[in-house]
Amino acid sequence: MIWIGTPKASGLARVLETRRLLTLVLAGALVWSLAGAGWGGGIVHTGGGNSLKGFLLALFPPEVSPGFLNLAFAASWQTIVHAVAGITLAIVVGLPLGVIASGSLGNPGRSRLAIAAGVRLLLAFMRSIHELVWAVLFVAAFGLSSLTVVLAIAIPYAGILGRIYSELLNDVPERPLDGLRSSGASPVRVLLYGRMPMALTDMLSYSFYRFECAIRAAAIMSFVGIRGLGFEIQLSLNDLRFDEVWTLLLFLFALVLLVDYGSAKVRRSLGS
Amino acid sequence: MTRPRLTFARASLYGFLALAVASWVYILAGADSGLEDLFSGRAWSNAASFLRQLLGLDAGLSGGGRPAFLDLGRWAETGKLAYKTLLMSVLAISFAGLGVLVTFLPAARNVSNGELGGRPSVGLGVLYHVLRLVFAFTRAVPELVWAMVIVFFLSPGVLPGAIALGLHNYGIVGKLSAEVVENMDPGPARALRSAGAGNLQMLAYGIIPQAMPQFLTYLLYRWEVVIRTTVVVGFVSAGGLGREFRLNLSFFQYTDVALIILWYLILVVAVDLLSALLRRMVRTG
Repeated sequence: MIWIGTPKASGLARVLETRRLLTLVLAGALVWSLAGAGWGGGIVHTGGGNSLKGFLLALFPPEVSPGFLNLAFAASWQTIVHAVAGITLAIVVGLPLGVIASGSLGNPGRSRLAIAAGVRLLLAFMRSIHELVWAVLFVAAFGLSSLTVVLAIAIPYAGILGRIYSELLNDVPERPLDGLRSSGASPVRVLLYGRMPMALTDMLSYSFYRFECAIRAAAIMSFVGIRGLGFEIQLSLNDLRFDEVWTLLLFLFALVLLVDYGSAKVRRSLGS
Repeated sequence: MTRPRLTFARASLYGFLALAVASWVYILAGADSGLEDLFSGRAWSNAASFLRQLLGLDAGLSGGGRPAFLDLGRWAETGKLAYKTLLMSVLAISFAGLGVLVTFLPAARNVSNGELGGRPSVGLGVLYHVLRLVFAFTRAVPELVWAMVIVFFLSPGVLPGAIALGLHNYGIVGKLSAEVVENMDPGPARALRSAGAGNLQMLAYGIIPQAMPQFLTYLLYRWEVVIRTTVVVGFVSAGGLGREFRLNLSFFQYTDVALIILWYLILVVAVDLLSALLRRMVRTG
């Protein structure tokens, strides 16, 4: 990468060695995975080639009858509702956990560090299980409902948001905080008037990105049987109505683009 | 003090809050909200018995045998599936990485308009927009939906799952890598060009060395996400732990479910550690 000045010979040798090892490891992973993929006969179903052609051709044109568009709008609404509820719950849970995990509250000491480490572990556990696995488990435990699905989205997302929030809160420059501290501000005030405002833009833009992901997560919650875009895609696939599948995929695409566009605009408006 | 203006950010914040309130009202007012269940003793006792069965404390449904996660033979059997799952995740990242490697340059605006060498042309301009659209679309469709579509054409196994995961991540890493090139310091490339370097030489010495570490870092980050998603994609593409998870759950073999969750967590932690190590090597290399 970028070297400032000339590194010592031993340092250079070490860097070259790392690079060679890295190349070897990555190339090895590539070869191993490609070799293990099972390229033998019967990769494609009998007639799979034809159905792929049918699928691709069904885009011209997708199903646009008013009745089906109505259904697609209703499904999009369901998906949005679950995504929004999931992300808001994730923010409400993730923000306080993130603040605690950042270790910026309370008096410095061993107990504070222990609590921060414990919360970080909890966050890691929450996000290490995929939202759909949470959903499958929750449905088995509580039964299927909108709230189960929202909870299944909110838990891993709170884990991710909490971790990112705590990193962003820790990454703010210390200088302005020292200024606050020297004028006698308590840790809570340092957080509220120092760390939070400085990290806010990044926190918001990451939350927006996660909102985009939550839309996808809500869409695939169909897998446990909740209605939404994924549910309709599954039904249309089962009926071999590929033109309907395309319409629904384009609706999902539009939703994600909309959020993407909105978040880019918000970032620009905040960043100025 | 100035009065706060109604900026776009403020307006969209209010808009989002309104949407949030509407969503929660819609969910809680719905007939199937599940709110009553949450406060009913029956649901919680169901959940508690589910948890007991996961832990093998309630032999009622699991046939009374030893919990699967205390059985070395079961560990070995599911270990093979865990290996397949790992293979699927690496294969998915390989597909995504190879795809991005071939297409990320023309998807960068400063390459397509000739700022970094080459000659701008209508073809390149069109290619830029097409690639950006492909990135956006493959990214917008979740892995599981790709998998549902792909199992219509390919036989179940590791491959369709890896392709589904690869497609979604191709869009994500492709967009990020193209942006790396767009935000790149044009200095080295310009210096090379003024020293008379050809297009290939500029690529090899001016662009790739700057973009490569970022590209690898993104791939490794995505690998951490992919390993969490392989199980889910396995639900439909039948490769690795996902299928077993679903079968066990529908046959009420809950201690087997617990064993698979254990393998899943082991994979997630191992990949996180390995990816962190490799990312450090990318930084120091």
